[in-house]
Amino acid sequence: MRDAYLVGAGQSDYGAFPEESYRSLFRTAFEAATESVPNGIDGEEIDEAFVGHLGVGGRQLGLSGPAVTEHVGLGGVPCTRVENACAASGFAVRQAVQAVKSGMADVVLAGGFEVMSDTSSDATKYWLGVSGETEWERLSGTTFSGVYAQMASVHMERYGTTREQLSRVAVKNHANGAKNPHAQLGFECSLEDAESAPVVADPLNLYHCCPTSDGAACALIVSEDVVEKYTSDPIRIAGVGAGSDNVGLFQRDTYTGVPASQRAGEQAYEMAGVEPDDLDFAEVHDCFAIAELLAYEDLGFCERGEAGDLIESGETELGGGLPVNTSGGLKSKGHPIGATGAGQIVEAFKQLSGKAGDRQVENPTRGLTHNVGGSGGAAVVHVFEKVQEVSA
Amino acid sequence: MTDTTDPTDGDAERERVSVPSKVELPRLLDFYELQTEDQTQIHEFYDNLRDGRLTTTQCCDCDEIHFPPRIVCPECTGDDLEYVDLPDEGELFAFSEVRDGLPLGLSEHDVPYVVAVVDLGPVRLSGWIDNAAYSDLEIGDAVSLKIVEIDGPTDEERVFYRFEPADGDAK
Ligand SMILES: [Zn+2]
Repeated sequence: MRDAYLVGAGQSDYGAFPEESYRSLFRTAFEAATESVPNGIDGEEIDEAFVGHLGVGGRQLGLSGPAVTEHVGLGGVPCTRVENACAASGFAVRQAVQAVKSGMADVVLAGGFEVMSDTSSDATKYWLGVSGETEWERLSGTTFSGVYAQMASVHMERYGTTREQLSRVAVKNHANGAKNPHAQLGFECSLEDAESAPVVADPLNLYHCCPTSDGAACALIVSEDVVEKYTSDPIRIAGVGAGSDNVGLFQRDTYTGVPASQRAGEQAYEMAGVEPDDLDFAEVHDCFAIAELLAYEDLGFCERGEAGDLIESGETELGGGLPVNTSGGLKSKGHPIGATGAGQIVEAFKQLSGKAGDRQVENPTRGLTHNVGGSGGAAVVHVFEKVQEVSA
Repeated sequence: MTDTTDPTDGDAERERVSVPSKVELPRLLDFYELQTEDQTQIHEFYDNLRDGRLTTTQCCDCDEIHFPPRIVCPECTGDDLEYVDLPDEGELFAFSEVRDGLPLGLSEHDVPYVVAVVDLGPVRLSGWIDNAAYSDLEIGDAVSLKIVEIDGPTDEERVFYRFEPADGDAK
């Protein structure tokens, strides 16, 4: 199969923007992505588009994919909406890679958007529950934060993981997000702030939970046959992995890991022919602080049960051996559900292009992105690699 | 109707249109499911619950016990299923105390409350734990079944299951 390359990626600011619509946010991200392509790209060169999102505000719209591609002048190209809750646009990128690898398309747009601030509070409440298991978990009064809180309760009991270690995830990600001009909560927080915040669902407090956000992100994926037209510094999509699982936590065998993430990671490493040690940075799905710690273990950054020690060691901070969530992560950068997966890839593109500003990792050649839907009903992992020469 | 005034004149009387003053809550947004035979194919689960029994389906072909109750076996796709009793007591497998971020249908006066995954042996299920506080609980604590009647928002007579700390574990 042909190789696929990431030649551009961009995003809107993440935050609450009552004056913006899903279309205008997507346009901002699309323009940022096309402008980031080193040798430039024309919209007419795009063969296909995949767009991820969960809702449109509190509504569900049919044909919401073509509604945004038409708005950026791509009327006519095949466009498909991809829905996998918080992993929607991570899976949109995977679809783009498949389209390129299969030979059906040479230039593909993959992106996502979400508008979460314009919904009435009732619609928001229902709609956020949709990312969990909306039937039997909801009937027991379980909230989305409550699901991750239960996973945290088991991890803490089994491995001695502490609330302080959970808070350190927030401190690290806010320190990174303070260096990202697109971040929604782009301010630093102290360990004391992150430990004393009000409880949302025991043992998780407000600083262990990401915000709700408006925003959009886009990536441009091209085939090895055309990549040289767009860049002389190609970034190869070396590995892709994905998995799914029971949507409800109560139906899973393990609560101290996310099996879909594990499967996605193993597949991606195998396809890329690399190991966790070969990574220079990673963007992982930290919707809740415990989710980042579980990702460390599911993706092999440390042994099972040792994620608390890993965050405490400083290894995953900027300047550490494996910086994680240099963008600020979902916690500080924000979590516009459908945009999040593509937004992680924007950070990977910036890091590998040397354009991450104050949060730049020194000379990275390889990075990973990890995007989870719900509490682990779906997960997708990508490995990106800077290459010297295209193997056409 | 003849109206000679300029339609762009701001002083002219404009026709008024209206939208309904109250919008009916969509079925989807009702917190609990509808439970009778003409409303759900797992009505037997609710019928049994109303009679004081927590039950679920077991496959007559492959013996798999499911939760939630099914109409087709996810293991073997057989549809010959029977309802079997689940134990009235189980153990906390994971738990949390909810204080914020409530789902639609619950209000501030409900918080805080404890939610858990309860291990009943044959199956695990999500459950609301009454009469309990996070700081008093440990994984492995025994909890026992309780059944509650649901008031509103319609005239439907509905029931659901909850749990509470078993004797000796109550605070
Ligand atoms: Zn069966």
